[in-house]
Amino acid sequence: MSSGSLSWIRVRAIARRHTYVLKRSPHRLFDVTVWPLVDVLLFGSIGAFVGQGGGSGEKAFGYLLGGIILWHVVYQSQISLSTGFLEETWSRNLLNLMVTPLKEAEYVAGVALFGMAKLVVGVGLTALLALIAYAFDVTDIGWGLLPIAAILLFVGWSIALFVIGVVLRFGSGAEALAWGILFAVMPLSGVFYPVEALPGLLHPVALALPTTHAFAAMRAILDGRSIPWDRVALAAVGAAVLAGLALLFLTKMLGVFRKRGFISRYA
Amino acid sequence: MEPVFQAHQLVKRYRDTLAVNGVDLMVHAGERVALLGPNGAGKTTTLMMLLGVISPDSGWVEVVGHRLPHGRSEALAHVGFSAGYMPLAERLRVREFLRTYGELYGLENPFERIEEELERFHIGHLSSTMCTELSSGQRTLIGIVKATLHRPRLIVLDEPTASLDPDVALRVRTGLRDVCRDEGSALLITSHNMLEIERLCERVVFLSGGRVIADDRPDAIAKRFGRDDLEGAFLHLAGGHGQMPLPQETDRPA
Repeated sequence: MSSGSLSWIRVRAIARRHTYVLKRSPHRLFDVTVWPLVDVLLFGSIGAFVGQGGGSGEKAFGYLLGGIILWHVVYQSQISLSTGFLEETWSRNLLNLMVTPLKEAEYVAGVALFGMAKLVVGVGLTALLALIAYAFDVTDIGWGLLPIAAILLFVGWSIALFVIGVVLRFGSGAEALAWGILFAVMPLSGVFYPVEALPGLLHPVALALPTTHAFAAMRAILDGRSIPWDRVALAAVGAAVLAGLALLFLTKMLGVFRKRGFISRYA
Repeated sequence: MEPVFQAHQLVKRYRDTLAVNGVDLMVHAGERVALLGPNGAGKTTTLMMLLGVISPDSGWVEVVGHRLPHGRSEALAHVGFSAGYMPLAERLRVREFLRTYGELYGLENPFERIEEELERFHIGHLSSTMCTELSSGQRTLIGIVKATLHRPRLIVLDEPTASLDPDVALRVRTGLRDVCRDEGSALLITSHNMLEIERLCERVVFLSGGRVIADDRPDAIAKRFGRDDLEGAFLHLAGGHGQMPLPQETDRPA
């Protein structure tokens, strides 16, 4: 990574460049509109069906809808950052960017800033549909929602940095990870159920993920308990470690990219 | 004259291929220098190391006093780069594309500069056109406008006029000469059009097999190798005679 402070002008230029692209590629709004709504419809309806029986079924209703809305914080932050980078490879714009004074951190900040706008739209829509269609108000989680959402946001960005690192190293063939990696993380994170529901063999893996503790905290609050700060703290530490590892990995892969002259794949 | 760019003993190897083998290169303020050589001579790899896109195995690069890779961002703020093979970003109008890059080069409000530079190359009418709707000549001109927008100390162009018609190529040459004269920018250019280089550049650095084998004025190089012009010298040097001038040798058949 380059040294020195970040330039707001360059961060803003990157965010605006991606806004132009989105404006002219409306199909990319699918990620922030159609899929989130389909997810709420699917998990909301399963929850409503299971909840008819009362008892623990009612709990499951909240777990499913709360889980899918907060999962979209991870999904939207991850997908917007990684596809933002992939856009540069698809349009063969990577070399154009690499020969400017733009620092890696400025690039990531610019795409993340643009991604925040998409995230607000995507998560806002899921929350709105859950309220209108299933009378589930995610804000009932209360202030505990804020640290949990912030942790999930950082986890999404960290996974995206890892994906970008893999694409830099292995080329476009690895870009399927941008969409696929979350399918592996989701079941292991106990988004909709306590981690004890997973096969015992997977418990250590699940417990090592910051997302597991974030969703456990969400369920505790939905059950009417006070905010379990110990789980929130575990999730925050895990997210910080993950972010550190992702940055380290990305820096290493960027070094390999420059060393091996992989820019020739995109120019 | 103060050097705007220095490369010292650059070496780059890709697996079994030694692409660049101990290149020393210096470009001074306001100089117009051509980096020539046959395909595979190491020109683009050298340029990519100068721009910090590829890291050298050994040797170092310094741009306007900033040593790469640590001073990369500060160094590249003084460099403008364009290449004939580089597409413009998709889904952007020319004005939006240039605004983005103007800001990336630190211009807070680049619109006035964009208009000036588009007019310099007589393409002001393209401002609202989508980048993907431009002809290859127009794309090249926009790429050069992008490279000169921030009035860099060093303009680096990799085969900018490949496949351009003579009219556009003339506009490129005239525009570049004007930029260098008006802004005091140095120019480092690669091209396979020897006539163009003779008209534009005052110094030629010839690479072959990853090494510098000649570094002089175009006419001096032609004379040194017993040729009438740079193209003759190119064919001679590309034929592997760089270390031993053979004035009487005829041109290699195509």
